[in-house]
Amino acid sequence: MLELSSTPLVIIAILGTVGVLLPIISIARKEKGSNSFYAVIAFSALIVSIGYVAYQFISDNILPSALFSKDVLVDDAFGGFFAIAMLIVAIFTTVGSFNYMRKKNYPAVYYSLILLSTIGMVLVAYSTDLVMLFVAWELMSIPTYVLVGFIKKNPSSNEAALKYFLFGALSSAIIVYGISLSYGLTGSTNIGEVIHGYATLDASLLPLALLSVGMFIAGFGFKMGLVPFHQWLPDTYEGSPPTITTLLAAGTKKAGFAATIRVIVLGMVVLNLDWTLALGIIAVMTMTIGNIAAIMQKNLARMLAYSSIAHAGYILIGLAISPYSTLGLQGSLYQIMNHSVMKGAAFIAVTGIVTTLAVTNIDKLKGLGRRMPITSLGLVISLFALAGVPPLAGFWSKIVLFGGALDAGSTIWWAPWLAIAGVLNSALSLAYYGWLTRKMYFEGETEKRVSEPKSVIAIMIFSMIFLVGFGIYPDPIIKFVEFAAPTLSLDIMP
Amino acid sequence: MADVVFLALSVITIGSAIASLEFRSLIYGSIALMGTLGGIAGFFLLLDSPFVAMFQLAVYVGSIAVLILFTVMLVKRELIFKKIEDKRRKFVGIALMLIFITALGSVIMDSGIKSITTDEPAVDFRTIGADFLIYYWPALILMALILSGSVTGALVLARRENVENDQRTD
Repeated sequence: MLELSSTPLVIIAILGTVGVLLPIISIARKEKGSNSFYAVIAFSALIVSIGYVAYQFISDNILPSALFSKDVLVDDAFGGFFAIAMLIVAIFTTVGSFNYMRKKNYPAVYYSLILLSTIGMVLVAYSTDLVMLFVAWELMSIPTYVLVGFIKKNPSSNEAALKYFLFGALSSAIIVYGISLSYGLTGSTNIGEVIHGYATLDASLLPLALLSVGMFIAGFGFKMGLVPFHQWLPDTYEGSPPTITTLLAAGTKKAGFAATIRVIVLGMVVLNLDWTLALGIIAVMTMTIGNIAAIMQKNLARMLAYSSIAHAGYILIGLAISPYSTLGLQGSLYQIMNHSVMKGAAFIAVTGIVTTLAVTNIDKLKGLGRRMPITSLGLVISLFALAGVPPLAGFWSKIVLFGGALDAGSTIWWAPWLAIAGVLNSALSLAYYGWLTRKMYFEGETEKRVSEPKSVIAIMIFSMIFLVGFGIYPDPIIKFVEFAAPTLSLDIMP
Repeated sequence: MADVVFLALSVITIGSAIASLEFRSLIYGSIALMGTLGGIAGFFLLLDSPFVAMFQLAVYVGSIAVLILFTVMLVKRELIFKKIEDKRRKFVGIALMLIFITALGSVIMDSGIKSITTDEPAVDFRTIGADFLIYYWPALILMALILSGSVTGALVLARRENVENDQRTD
């Protein structure tokens, strides 16, 4: 029985109340501006929420990764892990918007939609029922459709919103189809019961079970930006407000992975399917295509968008090998946590650059290191962490991921190739990160320092401490990942 | 008999869906959409789910389609929509859709789905209601939040900020 003090319900209560009240307060105050007033309220709600999740962990009120539950939600370590990652991203987005949303219309609705979308992201990770998961998925998606097109006078923002909406609606339809097939086959929407139903399924119905898993891969794959479902992503990331790109790249993408782990990976274990090889191939394609396309970009936001596609590929390595090595899921979760901070910081740096200099073309970023030193340093550290350069945090997550692939090599012959592909791709990514760093620090001479947005500076400092700190001393985060990662074997059957 | 009704409903549903996409007039398109949504209600009736069918009629045909119709009549649509038709893309889209449907259909038809017998009685609507309040209640709260977010978001997007002139196509 779900208790009222359980983490997901408290998050719904806090963020839901504030999210619904913000527009009402704005109507009552009869004013369009005062961005910082609404930003502070949203920020406080997010801080209270993340504080509550941390308190639940510290006071041992959270179950170990339970995966299944008789209810639609479970208050387990897996959900808590994703809740912390996503709340960090939501805080980044809100703080990054302090300066970006100044003098823009409807700030109350803007922050309200961020909070509502955050509830959706977090609840996807806590869901143990397909209907609940789908409703949370829609709560995460619908506010972001509006947020992407929030700058109505900007045609590329409108284009981004339309593309994102159409692809998003398609992915939702595919997920619903997958849910309806699994419900038709098993008579339940509870993930535990569905998987139990799959385990005892008549052999003649197995193709339909496979089809439903395929539908889930395609539906969640759209949001994760996996190749070949990634076409919408660069245009959307480039056209939407950079703060919202942070939310999409570092937040909603992770919800896709949470849903994948809850549904697909577990389905694979039970159905004894060789979806793993398919996931491995998709992982290699995703990281390679993402990195090659990123090299060719001249726009910073677009380059980061393709880099984000590549990173979905790295994370997928862990999912592909998860039935064969415990390090697989641990590596994926570790990379997810780091990626939230690394990519979040990189896109917030873009927000700072757009707010101050109104440029995103890489050629115009010459001498950025002198003009915006703190933002540039934060950006460079996040980029090198994304590439996996030691001693930054991104290095350790890649070590665990690729180590997992090598470990799985004793069971499946192709797993070590995933590690090799990952290392080669990391080297490839260094090429464009290094090129960007060169532009920022070693080109241009006459640029003078400009005033950097304080909110962006705050995020840069936090990210630098996180990435360098957990790079030098990764033990706490590794222990957290070990606690949160579910063990995948037939023993966990409900 | 059921096969004939099923075929008739399929023709109505798919035909109206194509018509709603193809009609130049948004009003006719909206009316065709009502046909699609009504056809789906017919499928639910065939599947012994009268409760869901009535909901489909009341919510989708009765309110959502009517709302769309009202919106279409109130919006100065000629200012917003520009007609661009790319025949090549259209045919590629149709071809992709046919491949997808054929692949999906063959997987479903080849599986043992025909062997499933469903002689269970229709689910009582009281059971559905009880399930919503006992098991799915957190999902209901999220649905309320989705509605709240959708309404406020739509209001902001629909509000005019001299967008009309920026997007005038002629």
